[in-house]
Amino acid sequence: MAETLTLGKALNIGLRRAMERDPKVILMGEDIGKLGGVFRITDGLQKDFGDPRVIDTPLAESGIIGTAVGLAIRGYRPVCEIQFDGFVYPAFDQIVSQVAKMHYRSQGKVRLPIVIRIPFGGGIGAVEHHSESPEAYFSHTAGLKVVACANPADAYTMIQQAIESDDPIVFFEPKRRYWEKGEVDTDAPLSDAYPLHASRVIREGQDATVLAYGPMVRTALDAATAAAEDGRSLEVVDLRTLSPLDLGPVFDSVRRTGRCVVVHEAPSNVGLGAEIVARITQECFYSLEAPVLRVTGFNTPYPAARVEEEFLPDLDRVLDAVDRTYGW
Amino acid sequence: MAKGEPSVATKRPEDKTARARASGDPPAEPEFVQLLTPDGDRVEHPDYAVDFTDEEYRGLYRDLVIVRKLDAEATALQRQGELGIWASLLGQEAAQVGSGRALREQDMAFPTYREHGVLYCRGIDPIMPLGLFRGVDQGGWDPNEFKFNMYTIVIGAQTLHATGYAMGVALDGKVGNGGPDSDSEAVIAYFGDGASAQGDVNEAFVWATVFNAPIVFFCQNNQYAISQPIERQTRVPLYQRAAGFGFPGIRVDGNDVLASYAVTRAALDDARHGQGPSLIEAYTYRMGAHTTSDDPTRYRIASEVDAWQAKDPIKRVRLYLEKQELADDGFFADVDAQAQREAVHLRERVLSMPNPDPAQMFDNVYAHGSPLLDSERAEFAEYVASFEGSAH
Amino acid sequence: MTGVARIEQFKLPDLGEGLTEGEILKWLVAVGDTVTLNQPIVEVETAKAAVEIPAKWAGKVTQIFHEEGTTVEVGAPIIAIDTQPDAGDVPDTSTPSAAALAAVEVAPAEGAVEPGLIGGPAPGGRTAVLVGYGPRTAAAKRRPRKGVPEPAAASAAPVEAPARVEPPARVEPPVPAPVEAEPVDNGRLGGGVLAKPPVRKLAKDLGVDLGTLTGSGPQGSITRDDVQAAASGTGPAPAAATAPTFGADREQRIPIKGVRKLMAENMVASAFTAPHVTMFLQVDVTRTVRAVDRLRGMRDWRDVRVSPLLIVAKAILTAIPRYPMVNSTWSGDSGEIVVKEYVNLGIAAATERGLIVPNIKDAGRLPLRELADAMNALVDTARSGRTAPADMSGGTFTITNVGVFGVDTGTPILPPGEAAILAFGAIRETPWVHKGKIKVRQVTTLGLSFDHRIIDGELGSRFLRDVAAFLADPEAALLSWG
Repeated sequence: MAETLTLGKALNIGLRRAMERDPKVILMGEDIGKLGGVFRITDGLQKDFGDPRVIDTPLAESGIIGTAVGLAIRGYRPVCEIQFDGFVYPAFDQIVSQVAKMHYRSQGKVRLPIVIRIPFGGGIGAVEHHSESPEAYFSHTAGLKVVACANPADAYTMIQQAIESDDPIVFFEPKRRYWEKGEVDTDAPLSDAYPLHASRVIREGQDATVLAYGPMVRTALDAATAAAEDGRSLEVVDLRTLSPLDLGPVFDSVRRTGRCVVVHEAPSNVGLGAEIVARITQECFYSLEAPVLRVTGFNTPYPAARVEEEFLPDLDRVLDAVDRTYGW
Repeated sequence: MAKGEPSVATKRPEDKTARARASGDPPAEPEFVQLLTPDGDRVEHPDYAVDFTDEEYRGLYRDLVIVRKLDAEATALQRQGELGIWASLLGQEAAQVGSGRALREQDMAFPTYREHGVLYCRGIDPIMPLGLFRGVDQGGWDPNEFKFNMYTIVIGAQTLHATGYAMGVALDGKVGNGGPDSDSEAVIAYFGDGASAQGDVNEAFVWATVFNAPIVFFCQNNQYAISQPIERQTRVPLYQRAAGFGFPGIRVDGNDVLASYAVTRAALDDARHGQGPSLIEAYTYRMGAHTTSDDPTRYRIASEVDAWQAKDPIKRVRLYLEKQELADDGFFADVDAQAQREAVHLRERVLSMPNPDPAQMFDNVYAHGSPLLDSERAEFAEYVASFEGSAH
Repeated sequence: MTGVARIEQFKLPDLGEGLTEGEILKWLVAVGDTVTLNQPIVEVETAKAAVEIPAKWAGKVTQIFHEEGTTVEVGAPIIAIDTQPDAGDVPDTSTPSAAALAAVEVAPAEGAVEPGLIGGPAPGGRTAVLVGYGPRTAAAKRRPRKGVPEPAAASAAPVEAPARVEPPARVEPPVPAPVEAEPVDNGRLGGGVLAKPPVRKLAKDLGVDLGTLTGSGPQGSITRDDVQAAASGTGPAPAAATAPTFGADREQRIPIKGVRKLMAENMVASAFTAPHVTMFLQVDVTRTVRAVDRLRGMRDWRDVRVSPLLIVAKAILTAIPRYPMVNSTWSGDSGEIVVKEYVNLGIAAATERGLIVPNIKDAGRLPLRELADAMNALVDTARSGRTAPADMSGGTFTITNVGVFGVDTGTPILPPGEAAILAFGAIRETPWVHKGKIKVRQVTTLGLSFDHRIIDGELGSRFLRDVAAFLADPEAALLSWG
């Protein structure tokens, strides 16, 4: 049955399903129990599954991830919540030095099926450290997998798939989209769902390919709608999985359109866009009518709330980039 | 403060040790639990005792000697270029054998990178960590198979892992199952004096106390973190830190295998019976260097080393055995011979460790694999095959 | 035991003031013997004396490297001592580690770090660090490769497949696929044309439609050469250059594609769009031939190739200003005739790849000498196949020298966009009426084709007569018309 759910609610129900399926799944994070999470993503779960399975942790991010490692060694499947993107850094060492490496250094004997949920991105008018896009640091770390959902249907299935995976997964949630609604089939079996580590063409077009993930997918779709009025048809690809990247569909698209624009909130310097551009250029060199362009946040710390709309890529900046690809 | 009111503040700790060191005086003897003096005499303690058979006393001696011998062999191997590095436990044998022997079979240990003595006492083949130090692998084994976690090089990180594991033990209902033969489990987390300053260790204390985790934090205070003396890590005796977090702390003579055993045994039992965490500070000394390329002569004085030499953990046990006539020359010779054999056996196996196949670099990064790695692996294989002299 | 390795190899020292070698006279110990510090172990004869050498370490002798009677260089190991003979089995001293250890000096030079400590020498020629083997200095030399490696583009650069990395038990749902990529045909992956970005730009600049070309590059991509060949309006060497291979039916089938196809299209477009009219005029060019000879004899012209073609070119360039309509373009799209003041003079040139028509930009402004240089350069460049694309576009008037083929004249087809083209035939000795008498003169035929939409018969004739008059008497023409 298809329901209309917000992205936040879709995550909530997805977490519930995962916990129902496997008693080893436990949630841990600051304020996720009684409060149900500052974004209410875990609302009602402690009441139904009990305190030991939904843990309100001390205010210590490194502690959240470090103890999750121990719990995983013990056989549990911890789903950790980092309250805001800007607060993941105290846990950075545990994530990249321990979580990422243990499977490798144990030659496959240790599995850490940990999911680290992080609300990310800006556009909510927040104060400092609440609007970051740290996905590149984790995508750059071998041993971690990184995904980003963009709509309620994907949020619902991807969170469950991430929990089922035996690999450690950093799960980015677009916080500015938490309240946007979409159709979700909550009865469909998870085995029918679109694979976790796969990108998807979500709008077909001929004139240029626009790549986005997380909060920028909506922006890219809006840009395509506006472009259609100008007689230009844009193909939009939701990348969904940031590490590993699934660029096969992207290469197919660029070979058809010859033009590509990558959009992300994170700054351009050494961002995910740089990696994507490098690979597209290598694989699609003979098909390119123009260089692959990036539309990104600027290379500054995230600015004050009242100018953030100028900082973040928006529909106009995306279409400006598309126009520029026609200038070569 | 008026009389009769509860104190609401603590005083600044006295800096006796630092001042004494600065003035050149030997540090004042600390207070700690001791059951066997450096001269090999038994002393009583009101709260702790051991009840060993003669065979068990001899067994402890054997363990201590073998552990030291294997450690020395590894040091020699490093000097000969067979190991890239070795972290010697010289001087810390009693703390490790004592606490290691206190663990029950079902207990789980989280070591640093120096607990070769604990590893030995868990019945694990001493060759296991040598791959890490030789550089042929990263010291990986299945923690659950051996009830002993992989060595952790990031200082203090393992204390959080241990705490999480202990939380899992409690979630599994394996705490407080009563009786001396219960199958309740406890967890021991090893770390050093230097680690006590790390954020992760302090977070582990917070979590352990808040969740009443069945864990013993075992700190081997060997007085140095590479070149930094203990005063650089704390202004109060380490065992007192626990009070600030709300659980008991105790200092034991880390060169006394009997006391180390007794205190650890009691703490583990408290943990497994649901009493929550405790901190044991094993007061000992790092007789060797931090690792094999370190030069301790640059930061400590010979007289300090000599003073600790007089408190050698193995000598006192030998003296005790001799004084109590629990062992004869034949026994000591037998122990030396066994230690020698085990050392040779270790050496042989180290020297025959095969170098890893470079293609294995790409394995086991993910449980579910990755297409990027698949293509990298294939490219690398092609590249390697393109050189003259390659097997392809 | 910092600094003393398990097995120490003793190297023959310099026994006296710069000696380079010594002879082993007599070993005083044998392998397996236990030695104490300073115990005499060997007698060595140098150029100066017989010398007894004491043991540098205590231990057990494990290896003696040189027999009695051997001459050994200073610095070579002569004996190995196990300094910990009670520590169990001795490791194989021929392993690299033991030999490398021998490289560690026991008595370091002043200021150097003790072996094994941070910054000091470590086995294997490394430098000791706190955390492992330490850095190694490698020689700056490449390892030899097998054969010639394929360029990265041509090798199997892995094509990324979608990352379906979930547990295999899961069944893939049917995903609504985007438009199916066209099968790879003619190098068009995914339905698009393949060409490197710089080649695309070249094509755009030259006005070449990539879609009409067949690529000769990797993966069927279109190359720079492909584009240039298409732009020059000629194709690869015509089939006539190679003997035809007939099939069993005695027919050979040559696909119409690429440059040939393009050229044909251009020709058809021109021939059937612009109504062509050709007018002929025979001219006595004896004076032109003599003028050429005179030029060749001049000192300043000694290094320059001069031919009658130069004079023909000058004749045309002199006449065009008086008949500007012959230097124009019929532009139906914009509904106008574009008359140009500048003359980009094209010279049809026969090359290995076929006929190309490079042009000299603004030739009307060139003095004769520069015109000659430009024409020679143009021909040389064309013959070597190096004509730049820019030189092959933008022509406004063309001369085609059919005389080199030995024919008298022809009815040339206008290059697209031009209004007139002159065919210059062979110069033959011909009986001619000259000053009322029959003389043998150098005679040629000029054939002028023109676009009858722009140029009518009268204009064409008058232009042609003026050109002929120039060739009949160049000196008079130059005097009269400059």
